[in-house]
Amino acid sequence: MIISKIKIWHFLLILFVLLIVLRFNLLIGLVELYIKFIGLIFKDSKSLFTQIDFRFIDNFISLALLFVIPLILFFSKRIKKLVLLPLSLSGLIIILLSTSFIFAPIIINQHPEFQKNISVTKLLPPLSKVKFIELKAADSNSQTDLENFTMLKKLVIPESFNDRLIFIDSLRLNLSSSGSSSTKDIDASIVEYFQNGVMKSTPASDIVSNQSQPIVHEKYFILGSDEYGRDIFTRIIYGSRISVLVGIGSVLLSLLIGVGMAFMAAQKGGIADLILSRMTDLFLSFPAIFLVIMILALFGSNLISVIIVLGLSGWMSLFKIVKSEILSIKKKDYFLSAELIGLRNTKLLIREILPVIIAPVIVNLVFQFTNVILAESALSYLGLGTGTSYPSWGAMIESGQEYITQSWWMIFIPGLVLIITLLSINSAGKKINEFYNSKFQL
Amino acid sequence: MKKELLVAILKRISTSLIVIFLLITFIFILLRLAPGDPTQKFLSPQLSPQLASRVAESFNLDKPVLSQYFSFVKNLFTGDFGYSYNYRQPVLSVIKDYFLFTLLFSTISFFIQLIISYNLVKISFRKTGGTIDKSLSKLSLILFATPSFVLGLILVYIFSVQLDLLPTSGLKSIFHDDFSFTGKIWDYVLHLILPLITLSLAGIAVFYSYLRDSVEEIFNKSFIVNLKAGGYSDREIFVKHILPNAARPLISVAGIEFGILLSGALITEVIFSLPGMGRLTVNAIFNRDFPLVIGCSFIAGVMMILSNLIADLIKIKIDKRLLKDLLQ
Repeated sequence: MIISKIKIWHFLLILFVLLIVLRFNLLIGLVELYIKFIGLIFKDSKSLFTQIDFRFIDNFISLALLFVIPLILFFSKRIKKLVLLPLSLSGLIIILLSTSFIFAPIIINQHPEFQKNISVTKLLPPLSKVKFIELKAADSNSQTDLENFTMLKKLVIPESFNDRLIFIDSLRLNLSSSGSSSTKDIDASIVEYFQNGVMKSTPASDIVSNQSQPIVHEKYFILGSDEYGRDIFTRIIYGSRISVLVGIGSVLLSLLIGVGMAFMAAQKGGIADLILSRMTDLFLSFPAIFLVIMILALFGSNLISVIIVLGLSGWMSLFKIVKSEILSIKKKDYFLSAELIGLRNTKLLIREILPVIIAPVIVNLVFQFTNVILAESALSYLGLGTGTSYPSWGAMIESGQEYITQSWWMIFIPGLVLIITLLSINSAGKKINEFYNSKFQL
Repeated sequence: MKKELLVAILKRISTSLIVIFLLITFIFILLRLAPGDPTQKFLSPQLSPQLASRVAESFNLDKPVLSQYFSFVKNLFTGDFGYSYNYRQPVLSVIKDYFLFTLLFSTISFFIQLIISYNLVKISFRKTGGTIDKSLSKLSLILFATPSFVLGLILVYIFSVQLDLLPTSGLKSIFHDDFSFTGKIWDYVLHLILPLITLSLAGIAVFYSYLRDSVEEIFNKSFIVNLKAGGYSDREIFVKHILPNAARPLISVAGIEFGILLSGALITEVIFSLPGMGRLTVNAIFNRDFPLVIGCSFIAGVMMILSNLIADLIKIKIDKRLLKDLLQ
């Protein structure tokens, strides 16, 4: 089979080449933008900093990582070994997920909340295309560098609203040229178009046109659009960021809490151990989801609070695993000798314990990661998610529930993406588990 | 033996009650720390401040927090949870209806989960490694990864929107009161089919994979080979020897699962807008209905502990050696 011969690095290479080839113009624009930015820092730094917003930094990080990641892949020996492994289906999906997490602004050069002319673009099925005409840019004789910079920034980093685009069903054709006389005289200076059956018009001189015929572009909605005419594909790509971000954040938090507490309980013993163990049992014996919902509903939910609460609700299993591992390590000779030498607690943890417990901890963290993604989407579905500033898969499904009779894609596509993501991370966790366990048996 | 067991159970229950008390205290502190004033909902700024203070007094919120806590503890020991702010009824009588529904709903779902997963294991075990076995384990993996709200909405789309067979939400239809007795029952059944499937499928997947793994583990042990050599039939070996040994991890998981189900299947209730404990609790939290939140958490905690206890007792019934663990 050919598929089994494809290595991970082949796939990565194809992905990078595709990204660079398809988004070449955007990348060049971004590079130009940031070069201009650096040039302007020395001239007019005060008014420049008002231009910096979240999307500006986001784009910069993505662009930087596009150059840094290949270098890391190429020069780091440990990662090189990983990249030489054959590609599996779950690996493919995880790579796609992390690519869309890191390079979302480059993959999709559109704001996830972009919406215009809702009457035309709302609730479009997958694979549909919509015509649009473009208004001419206002003549700005931009002289200063700052104005140039702002213009370029608007061009390269689009905002959630663009008044230069007009989505239309169809243009009203200028019949006078074809000869058949019309009852109404069609004014050549006005372009008329239909939006959801309603005829509207704009002066023809405003519209980008070719030989007095307005140019009609087409925009594809690969996975359809939602009730506000927002592109679902864009929202899914950006939604991966919420899932991955919440996953990584809360998993790291539970790692810190779990390992720290387990180390404390194992080292101190006695009352500290007793209290911590009882507390773990207490947390384990109640459905955490209710406490999570309670805290989020009472104190308000945003990205940070979701990460913290989910992180706080997931450290118990880690605590149990790490504690039992440490207790068994403590009886080993190498640990006793390290202790007798007089190493301090932190050094003991980092040098002697962490290398041993890392395997079961990683396996646990991977499964924890899927749990957190699942919990985050469930919370978003219940309206207790990370807020409205960024799309999230669960919130997309929740908003699709209202339109279930008309537009299945609003539920099925995010749902399918969620299921596939969870499945592939789960199976990756299983593979890591097998890998480490087979190593230990040798 | 029996006396020992009784003492162990009593000890377990008393420690559990302490745990529940701690939990409720924790929730009490959370509720008082949270921003948002429960009286705000019943007042408008135009009303006089005297009225506002009277509302606060009727909610028992005018005293300092510490004395609120003491009266709360005192009432707790007399079994009085106070009046719900929203429903203007004693908390327990508000909870009663919702709890009855949840009890019925989750018990049915729980037994569906157990029976179906048991039978699936039996079927797949007839030919280990066969196509049925393999596809069932794949399917259980997929079901395990499917969030219940996605599953529920897919089912609604297929059976309610496309095929128009089953109702989408609620517990009864508009004409419910006109139906005869059997018609009423049938109406309930129709409304509960999709929620039951949604709630049960994930549980079936979990139970199946647990039971399947432990059955395989037991099957490879030498005493089974011995029994086979003794000429016992496969069926007899499975039912009498493999199953009781393999059931132990399943029972622990099932105990926890049942407790969670009894404290409310929140997401299923939200999808199908059913009147269960999960939605009651969450609505109470959103409305800052403090006594109701405490009451619901108390019920959830008690159910959790009871179902765990029952699971342990069943395990002891199967394997007497486990009594030692409980006694410690």
